[in-house]
Amino acid sequence: MSSYIRTENLYKSFRTKGNNVQVLKGINLEVQKGDIYGVVGFSGAGKSTLVRCINRLEEPDSGKVFIGETEITALSKRELATKRRKIGMIFQNFNLFDAKTVFENIAYPLELEKAKKKDIQKRVDELLELVGLTEKKHAYPGQLSGGQKQRVGIARALANNPDVLLSDEATSALDPQSTLAILDLLRKINKELGLTIILITHELEVVKYLCNNVAVIEDGIIVEEGEVRNIFLNPNSNTGKVFLKVSKEFQKNEFVSGGEGI
Amino acid sequence: MSLRRYSLWEVVKHAFSKEVWDVLWPAIGDTLYMVIFTAVITLVLGIMLGIVLAVTGKEGITPVSWLHRGLGTIINCLRSLPQIIMIIITLPLARALLGKAYGVNACIIALAASCTPMFARLIEGALLELEKGKIEAAKSMGSTNLKIIFGIMLPEVIPAMIRAFTVALIAIISMTALAGNFGAGGVGDIAVRFGFNRFQHDMLIATVFSLIVMVQVVQTIGDVCSKLILKKRHLI
Ligand SMILES: Nc1ncnc2c1ncn2[C@@H]1O[C@H](COP(=O)(O)OP(=O)(O)OP(=O)(O)O)[C@@H](O)[C@H]1O
Ligand SMILES: [Mg+2]
Repeated sequence: MSSYIRTENLYKSFRTKGNNVQVLKGINLEVQKGDIYGVVGFSGAGKSTLVRCINRLEEPDSGKVFIGETEITALSKRELATKRRKIGMIFQNFNLFDAKTVFENIAYPLELEKAKKKDIQKRVDELLELVGLTEKKHAYPGQLSGGQKQRVGIARALANNPDVLLSDEATSALDPQSTLAILDLLRKINKELGLTIILITHELEVVKYLCNNVAVIEDGIIVEEGEVRNIFLNPNSNTGKVFLKVSKEFQKNEFVSGGEGI
Repeated sequence: MSLRRYSLWEVVKHAFSKEVWDVLWPAIGDTLYMVIFTAVITLVLGIMLGIVLAVTGKEGITPVSWLHRGLGTIINCLRSLPQIIMIIITLPLARALLGKAYGVNACIIALAASCTPMFARLIEGALLELEKGKIEAAKSMGSTNLKIIFGIMLPEVIPAMIRAFTVALIAIISMTALAGNFGAGGVGDIAVRFGFNRFQHDMLIATVFSLIVMVQVVQTIGDVCSKLILKKRHLI
């Protein structure tokens, strides 16, 4: 089976005050169509930089990115802008437009496509129903809870029927209940719309709950990848082991402290 | 009425007499005329220059180093001139453009030249404070730069822009008073001619009063407008 999203030897460095920091050191990622693919790693490992290279919010120094047949890294500015409409992205802090209502936020990408007013109305209503926010149509982001904001973020990312969704710690700012609801929503759109999802996260639980495959990034390289079950049953990488240990430690504590706590 | 011959109370009372305000009202009219025209020029040019500064900067959406630096230098130069010197310098320019180097219209050029750079910097500051994430979100949806600027950046920072414009407007009002010395008329002219040269302190008090009222009105309207917008967006 050939992969749908593919990076070949991706390098990226940042220049800060004279010295060059290599953040990505030859990333080869392969994600199958319709997969939910997790990317985990410690803070500063380069996870965000990797996904941001996929839609070229960061320009990689060298290497290639493919989505389907399209070589993303070979597109001109104009072509990239068009292609980006088919690559949705959601963020940790939602990045909704405070000046626009929920409706206007979701309509924004449709207006970029110069869709007709009536079609926009219809599409936004569909999306609001999908994410369960129909009654908040005319609210401003300032009136919404974190979970609701992320739902708007997802609806906005889905507006133009993308086939890829990039999620950079989309649930890290949410309480456990909203996290679960958002994860269920992501699973639903993966199933119903066939979206390929790349999901960056700090939380092992999130990977276990949602992802089929996972890559572990350590210091700019993928140190291991494969099925979630295999990786976290028997991790080889340092990061994988620490993640598992921390996760177990938490479970133990939970067990010891029983019904106490929050 | 001079404080040398009359008591303070009498002078203050006379400052609100018809006699004084018959002289002052036309001057206030001149001042408002200058303020409004300067404000419009400052608003339009300042927003345009502020946008250019913000988007061509190193962290902007289309970095253009030479443009950013060149424009920045020009603006810094203009800003380092004291307003009174700006007025003196722009008089020949006014003569070239309008055929005369005095009067209300000539001073508008000086006022705009002095206030636009300041307002442009304020606008740049407001735009730079906008969260980068919002711009990235728009980019990730395939928005063009022009649409990011006018569809996202400007609407997001309108409350900050209103506050910046309030500051600029008040600077324009106070500078208008200064320009009065150079044949522009207005309340500044009255203050100098009657209040300073002829010791008519009632006149002086009346001009000060009218300037305070103008500034208060501008500040209050600015505050109310930006608050209303923030309230509507549920950000306060
Ligand atoms: N624009 C930038 N300029 C300079 N350095 C950067 C920039 N963006 C990221 N870095 C550096 O690159 C490294 C990797 O950053 P990145 O955001 O990809 O990490 P991450 O794995 O997403 O971490 P986190 O889990 O904390 O989000 C960090 O050391 C960071 O300081
Ligand atoms: Mg990150």
